[in-house]
Amino acid sequence: MAHVASAGSMNDGVEAYFSGDDDAKAYGLFQLLREDGTPVDDAGLDWLDRALARRLFHGMLRIRVTDARMMALQRQGRIGFYGEATGQEAAVVGSAAASAPHDWIVPALREAGVGLFRGMTLDSYLAQIFGNAQDPSKGRQMPCHPCDQAHHYVVMSSCVSTQIPHAVGIAMAMKITGHRGEVCFGFMGDGGTSAVDFHVALNFAGVMKAPCVLICQNNQWAISTPGSAQTASTSIAVKGRAYGLESLRADGNDVLAVYRAVRYAAEKARRGDGPTFVELLTYRVSAHSSSDDPSRYRDESVTEIWKGERDPIRRFESFLSGRGWLAAGERDTIAHELDAEVRDAIARQERVAPPALETLIDDVYERPTWLLREQLAELAAQPRTRSPHKH
Amino acid sequence: MAFNFYMPDIGEGVVEGEIVAWRVKEGDRVKLDQPIVEVMTDKATVELPSPRAGTIAKINYQDGQICPVGQILVVIDDDGAAAVVKPEVRPAAAPAAPVAAAPVSGSAAGAAVAIQVVDATASRPRVLATPATRRLARQLGVELDRVHPTGKHGRVTTDDVRGHRSNGGSPASSANGGAPAPAPTGAAPAARPPTAYAPIAIASTGNEERVPLRGMRKKIAESMARSVHTAAHFTYVEEVDMTELVLVRERAKSRATERGAKLTYLPFIVKAVVSGLKKWPQLNASLDEATQEIVRKKYYHIGIAAQSPHGLAVSVVRDADRRSILDLAREIDRLGEAVRTGTATRDDLTGSTFTISSLGKLGGVLATPIINFPEVAIIGVHKIEERPAVRGGQIVARHLMNLSISVDHRLADGWDGAMFLQDVKTLLEDPTTMFMEMI
Repeated sequence: MAHVASAGSMNDGVEAYFSGDDDAKAYGLFQLLREDGTPVDDAGLDWLDRALARRLFHGMLRIRVTDARMMALQRQGRIGFYGEATGQEAAVVGSAAASAPHDWIVPALREAGVGLFRGMTLDSYLAQIFGNAQDPSKGRQMPCHPCDQAHHYVVMSSCVSTQIPHAVGIAMAMKITGHRGEVCFGFMGDGGTSAVDFHVALNFAGVMKAPCVLICQNNQWAISTPGSAQTASTSIAVKGRAYGLESLRADGNDVLAVYRAVRYAAEKARRGDGPTFVELLTYRVSAHSSSDDPSRYRDESVTEIWKGERDPIRRFESFLSGRGWLAAGERDTIAHELDAEVRDAIARQERVAPPALETLIDDVYERPTWLLREQLAELAAQPRTRSPHKH
Repeated sequence: MAFNFYMPDIGEGVVEGEIVAWRVKEGDRVKLDQPIVEVMTDKATVELPSPRAGTIAKINYQDGQICPVGQILVVIDDDGAAAVVKPEVRPAAAPAAPVAAAPVSGSAAGAAVAIQVVDATASRPRVLATPATRRLARQLGVELDRVHPTGKHGRVTTDDVRGHRSNGGSPASSANGGAPAPAPTGAAPAARPPTAYAPIAIASTGNEERVPLRGMRKKIAESMARSVHTAAHFTYVEEVDMTELVLVRERAKSRATERGAKLTYLPFIVKAVVSGLKKWPQLNASLDEATQEIVRKKYYHIGIAAQSPHGLAVSVVRDADRRSILDLAREIDRLGEAVRTGTATRDDLTGSTFTISSLGKLGGVLATPIINFPEVAIIGVHKIEERPAVRGGQIVARHLMNLSISVDHRLADGWDGAMFLQDVKTLLEDPTTMFMEMI
């Protein structure tokens, strides 16, 4: 790992670090917990209470448990596709915890946990994956593209980086229509920062001082492209500086560092002091998606390190235990409860019928044209066969 | 109760999976989510967890077999009662292949699909097929209700239509999923194009011998006629100064012999041709007539046309782009021997993407080679001989050789053919440049 912000550079606590040297922020690595879960010197964790800490832990475990269950379902042919966030739980949950209910979330591929943390129900999440009648997007998106209007969670786009201009645009709209302290969170992966929309979006964000936090989960793999082939830039964070954005680089497997860095950025945007670009360094320990097999293109012994001593849940668990905020064996108990919740929700959602045929022509025209109505009538008259895949 | 575990689509649009290894056997008890089998698709190798707790009642596809998506992979008896295997379970030995990998021909002929004769009197009222499939069926004159469907819900797929067409609608078995027996020439063994003329009868005059047209002669006749009648041939000839390469070969020959290779000029020509093809991909292509798509191949299987005891034979140097000169020499030698002794395998004789025709010492001065259809081009190699050449105003003796290339003008233009041949010439005339392109 790169340089870790030392105690000396944050002598006046964390805020001093953020108001300090731009190079240190963009090239260094902001960390509050060491890999063994002990706080760095002068971590200044006064703001952290037991309730928040346990919420973070709970949110992280929920992602891990849900991912494991959904991958099994995919391998059993019960869902078509899945993309895990396993190993990146700290980056996801730490960011989510720094958001406020009236903020908006524009995710990339691995931020469903942000939605869940903000209140999206497991049932809604699963309905989308099954593409059933309770799916808010009516089965039109591939699995793992949830959305939740009530919790300001926008559906992701599968296209790389196209969502970043959306996030900045939403933030610009917040400002134009009279900023009331909302913030738009725009997520991306490391691969997204090589795509043109990233640069367009950051430029607008900087020029317009849009109230947004742009977060790159640098998991070091864009499907099969490693970070070394992705960019010649020393860090991803530093790219933001070219557009005049304050840019931070934090340890994405340290949930407290993520929370603190993103909260700093969010509060700044809330005050109307402009956008921030945050790089969260993590690692994709699983495949890109259920269709991918990383053993074909990377050295999985490196993955084992990230799965082991660098695992974000293990690190935070050690911290909680050290503080006496987590009893022995409690992790298993919580994981068990979460697993039961997921299984119950799956059982409910798997029984829900597919969206009605009539919904095919919804949402394009206010009133469907005669042509669409005629086609629908023809379709409805066709014989229907039951899918042999139904269980 | 018996629970049928259908082979899932584990990778967004994969059509089949190869069974790598079963972790359980029939009669074993399994727990929910216990890994039961390792499956390899063209995207990933994964373990499938059991969707039920119970007893493995029947394994339909064994290690090494291919299970199509949507077929019953395994039956799990999930309450301990005797398994009821429904008759719909297909025997493992003859799975319906919804999509067979299209072999080299790139045309309809390649897709081998198990066809069942459908009784015309029992045709179904409404066949399920996508508009694209219906359009293809109309184009090919195939009646959809005669085609055996292999798609989901009994849907006829485009592959079904093509397979039906290429089998002439007649029953064909392809339990091994292989293509029809290849013509020894390596040309597409497709149906004969419709003959526009009435057959010519040759009246007997007595002083003649009559030999039946059959076997290899007949195959060659069909392939060549198809090529000439389909491809719009044009031929272009260029002279190549091989003097430098003659010296290189002289120097390398003994070294090659030590390493068990007979070094002719052919490996160098193959090397130069592959370099040229990489630059001019339109010459390493085929036209898929059914879909009207030009298939540009990213693999370089070079056919070597030569006379065998049974007639013209094209042996195929597979992946010529990944072989060294010595490797090419050994492979060409091996193929020649295999053709001579009749031990050539199917792989040795099919799948070329571009052909080199060489008559060796009978090489002549120029030729108009006939394309090894459905390839796009063929190159004829002529004799290397000392001939007068003008160099710097002086007449000098140089080792000269002509190359004749025939190209299918439907897919490539004169410019493409000429530029390709100029590249090949440059590489052969200055072996140094060729070494720069080597792997």
